[in-house]
Amino acid sequence: MDRLLTTALVLQGLLLAPSLVAASDFDATIDLRGVVADGLPSYLNGGLGELRYDEQHDSARLDSVRIGFHHDFLEIIHLNANAVSYADGDRSVVDLTEAYAEIRPFPLNGWRSRLKLGAFYAPISLENRLPGWRSAYTLSPSAINTWIGEEFRTIGAEYDLDWLGRQHGHDWELGLTAAAYGWNDYSGQLLAQRGWSINDRQTTLFGRIGEPDVAPISGLREFDSDVDHRVGYYAGGSAKYLDALELRALHYDNNVNPNSYSYKFDMFGWHTRFNSVGLRWTPTDRWTVISQWLAGTTIDGDSGFNNNVRTDYYAYEFHSDFVLVSWRRGADRFSARYDEFEMHQTLSDDFFNTDRGHAWTFAYECEINTMLSVAVEELLIDSSLAARPQIGEPVAALERELQLAVRLQF
Amino acid sequence: MRINATALVAGRGAFGLGSAFSALALGAIAIVSGRGAAAADMTVSVLDGAGHGVAGIVIIAQPETAVPERHIARRAIMDQQHMQFVPRILVIQTGTGVDFPNSDQIQHQVYSFSAPKSFKLSLYAGHKYPPIVFDRPGLVTLGCNIHDGMIGYIYVTDSPFFGRSDASGQLQLHGLPPGGYTLTAWHPQMQEAGENTLRLQFTLAENEHSTPVLHLTRPLRTEMTHDGDKRWTDY
Repeated sequence: MDRLLTTALVLQGLLLAPSLVAASDFDATIDLRGVVADGLPSYLNGGLGELRYDEQHDSARLDSVRIGFHHDFLEIIHLNANAVSYADGDRSVVDLTEAYAEIRPFPLNGWRSRLKLGAFYAPISLENRLPGWRSAYTLSPSAINTWIGEEFRTIGAEYDLDWLGRQHGHDWELGLTAAAYGWNDYSGQLLAQRGWSINDRQTTLFGRIGEPDVAPISGLREFDSDVDHRVGYYAGGSAKYLDALELRALHYDNNVNPNSYSYKFDMFGWHTRFNSVGLRWTPTDRWTVISQWLAGTTIDGDSGFNNNVRTDYYAYEFHSDFVLVSWRRGADRFSARYDEFEMHQTLSDDFFNTDRGHAWTFAYECEINTMLSVAVEELLIDSSLAARPQIGEPVAALERELQLAVRLQF
Repeated sequence: MRINATALVAGRGAFGLGSAFSALALGAIAIVSGRGAAAADMTVSVLDGAGHGVAGIVIIAQPETAVPERHIARRAIMDQQHMQFVPRILVIQTGTGVDFPNSDQIQHQVYSFSAPKSFKLSLYAGHKYPPIVFDRPGLVTLGCNIHDGMIGYIYVTDSPFFGRSDASGQLQLHGLPPGGYTLTAWHPQMQEAGENTLRLQFTLAENEHSTPVLHLTRPLRTEMTHDGDKRWTDY
């Protein structure tokens, strides 16, 4: 309830402060979907399917309503927020996915510092470039970026140092990023249990993600939990050649003590580390190729919270990568993506979980005008998740999802 | 010898129609008229490796003798439309005042830290600031601190004889005093060796109609902006 109250207060503050807000500071998206799904019960509905929808939850529906807020303040301070309603029974009807302030002074002879404070996404995805961190290419982002949207939000501070080489006649721009954050002590848990997924549902700041009915996870809450009070970090760099080539690399470490225990949630912390590399190549105005790779580990304390014995840990290794090719002409965009993903348990005292699979995504979008776009997406996920028999499902599943989206932008 | 030079400077209305190409041409081409008794003319051509004309190249004819008296209109416009500078490349004579209207619905924060002219325009929309006078020759690169993909160029020259090549790769210059000239061609997407410019020195005789040709040794590189998608935000 306190979180709900906080959300309401934040939104109310944004909406009602008359000196701060003008109507032009807002934008909104209404996303209507027609969905046909063929697969296991979704992880959002207590199952271990890797799609967002399942046969009991498809058909025509209101997918989401998003409200974006942007306000420039004192010349160099830029306030940003995104609120979304998925209308799917989350804890709050409307909740935030991002809320942060960016301090962005003028460059100094080609160098520029930026400081972000609040809740925002780490610079990993090369797909999610549209307002609200939506993919510019497909309805459902890759497995990697789905996971980022589900289990990761930087709640803290990020510093960026940019070298704007093009202002000096060079063809390159370079950037360095470092961040410190908290409130993500369970990031990794969803991946370890459910495996990878491909869907466009971002976890909201005060909301919940799915609760598969498999031990050791139950009652998972994500961003509002910080049990060990340790600061996580990430550091990375970026390079951009004209606007044709963009490279991002990041090392992420939430620095959680896996022995830290929350009596409230009856859970241990999840120490998650990974490396991420992404490349976008836009050789012509029409073609774009994007590839990302992410690999890491997560470790969770088990029952030995009072004796610090490492053999009591659950440990997992995971990786995923994808290649996306997109072709655009005028209002039309066609995209195809191949994902592969893998997760396996390396250390356990009782139960081993693994997930291996790959996926194809085919999408077409027509941007009819600045206010209306229509998109179609076919998604096929072929996966094997060892935990499925625990809820009476087969290990292997070939899941399909066909979506028609009508998006209204205001 | 007296040269009366005037420049066509595109007004805001020309841009309002969104005709970027005509705006580029109008905004950049200086037509020098009022020729003296012995004035010469010049048709400069810029050709690629296949012999085809290359459009949009900045061309400067710099007299080797003292620059004659100039009467070029001293106003130009660098607009901002759809998160781009329009025209993307503006060529002006030293001393020209440039307006920076913002025709977008969102605010921009324009800056330059190039040596010939360093300036900052705090966040604004519409037509907020008086013209900025570019009083030193050289290349000025423009940026927007909010939208890093916005890059524009203002080429400032002391010479009154300048412009950009048309669709056929040509630029007509009229009323030039006879004498020695250095012809310079520049474009941000040129891939020539050295300073990314082509130079040609020649002498113009009285009443001559010279037709110098500049050859690009490499094609202009393709330049994309924002992946062709104006909806991109800063993620």
